[in-house]
Amino acid sequence: MELFTPDFGLIFWMFVAFAVLFLILYKWGWPVILKSMESRADLIDKGVEYAQSAKEQMEKAREQSEKYMAEARAKQADMLREADKIKTQIIEEARKSAQVEAQKVMDAARVSIEQERKEAQLQFRNEVSSFALDIAAKVVRKQLSDEKAQAHLVNTLLDEMETKN
Amino acid sequence: MIKKHLLALIALVVTLAYPSCAFASASESDGGESKINPKEIIFEHLGDAYGWEVPFNHHKRIPLPVILIGKDGFHCFMSSKVEHGKTYTDGGAMFKIAGKDSEYKGKIVEILPDGTEYRPWDISITKNVCALFIAVILVIWSVVAVARWHKTMNYKAPRKMVGALEALIDFIYNGVIKPTLGAKAMKFAPYLLTVFFLILYLNLLGLIVVFPGGANVTGNIAVTLVLSIFTFLITNLMGNKHYWKEILWPDVPLWLKFPLPIMPVIELFGIFTKPAALTVRLFANMLGGHMIVIVLTLLIFIFAAMGPVVTGATTVVSMAFSIFMLIIDVLVSFIQAYVFTMLSTLFISFGQEEHHEHEHEKTVTQ
Repeated sequence: MELFTPDFGLIFWMFVAFAVLFLILYKWGWPVILKSMESRADLIDKGVEYAQSAKEQMEKAREQSEKYMAEARAKQADMLREADKIKTQIIEEARKSAQVEAQKVMDAARVSIEQERKEAQLQFRNEVSSFALDIAAKVVRKQLSDEKAQAHLVNTLLDEMETKN
Repeated sequence: MIKKHLLALIALVVTLAYPSCAFASASESDGGESKINPKEIIFEHLGDAYGWEVPFNHHKRIPLPVILIGKDGFHCFMSSKVEHGKTYTDGGAMFKIAGKDSEYKGKIVEILPDGTEYRPWDISITKNVCALFIAVILVIWSVVAVARWHKTMNYKAPRKMVGALEALIDFIYNGVIKPTLGAKAMKFAPYLLTVFFLILYLNLLGLIVVFPGGANVTGNIAVTLVLSIFTFLITNLMGNKHYWKEILWPDVPLWLKFPLPIMPVIELFGIFTKPAALTVRLFANMLGGHMIVIVLTLLIFIFAAMGPVVTGATTVVSMAFSIFMLIIDVLVSFIQAYVFTMLSTLFISFGQEEHHEHEHEKTVTQ
């Protein structure tokens, strides 16, 4: 059977062809491809890992930022409340101090008015007394036109002075 | 729907008409001889030839160079010189293709002055050798293209042809070589991948009916023999101490190896049966695939003698079956390349095992 007897020529050429093919691919083919494929696979694995961790980190960062935001918002609200409180306090204080000041001013005014009044009263009294003295002098002068009456008045006055002393 | 039916009808008419025409022309060209010899045709297609047949022409062949080392040295001429039983005289030597009743049927012989036939050393570029060269060039071209792509476009996503080839490379390297050989995968991968791609390309080219394909290279025992000799050499030359200890002094009861070395003899025999199995498996599978398709096609011509109705019916059935078989053969082409690579990897790994691990050889039969 010719099919089952290996032909020398074909064996020879197969040896040559396969050897050449193998040497060429050994030199310029397989090592490059296999190494490159391996390193690319590693790179992809690393890339996926990196992406996953990056995603996780981002998630964490987002959570953190959300927390910070919430905190900031709470702080802001606190601050606003505080400011509001301070504001009302300041206003209250201002009002109080204004009241005190006003009171003082009013008191001072009252004191000065009193003084004025007293002075006026005093003046008025002095004037009234001088008027009265004048009137009395006039009246007395009129009455003391006679001697007798004069002597009587002097005596009365002397008596008075005596009783006083 | 109508279109579909119409297409089927046209196909039927064509297939019905074709064999009678072909048969008519064939019988005409054979000088009125109406009987066809299926065995001859089958073996002609399965075997090697000095020229490469072209479709629709029985006489013209693509001439290929014939290289002979005869009694008086080198002879080199085109195969067209010895076509159709012609005798060619080159220098002082006469050559012709031996006839049917010769011992060297179908091979080129030198006619010695006394009339006897002498078979010279024949390293002609025959059809199979030419197909082998075409496959080798295709493998080199595609693999070097992938390597060049890797050098220039490193870390880009492989697409198109590079992607397809990388899928195959990855399938063999990470699917077969690495799990079996482990850390030594890189050492043997170039050989195993080369074997895989060469067999795959040869198998697939063999399925193409016209010129660049159609040769039954992997279905030729010489080719598979050389491939398994390479695997045999690598297994045994690269085998470590443990491998040889397992063969010469295996871990079995003493009486099995001394005084009568029963197990060592069996193991030594096993060294040679492994490559033999490799040789025959690939050879028989590819030969079988080609043979079935040819036989199915030939059925048409065999039944042609029984009238047009039988011929037509046979044509439809044969065509359907042979197309089905060709599709199966595409799968077989891949599977056989894969199996050869896988078994080679396995055999090589036997020579590389370090620690003692009883792993029985898997006998894969197909």
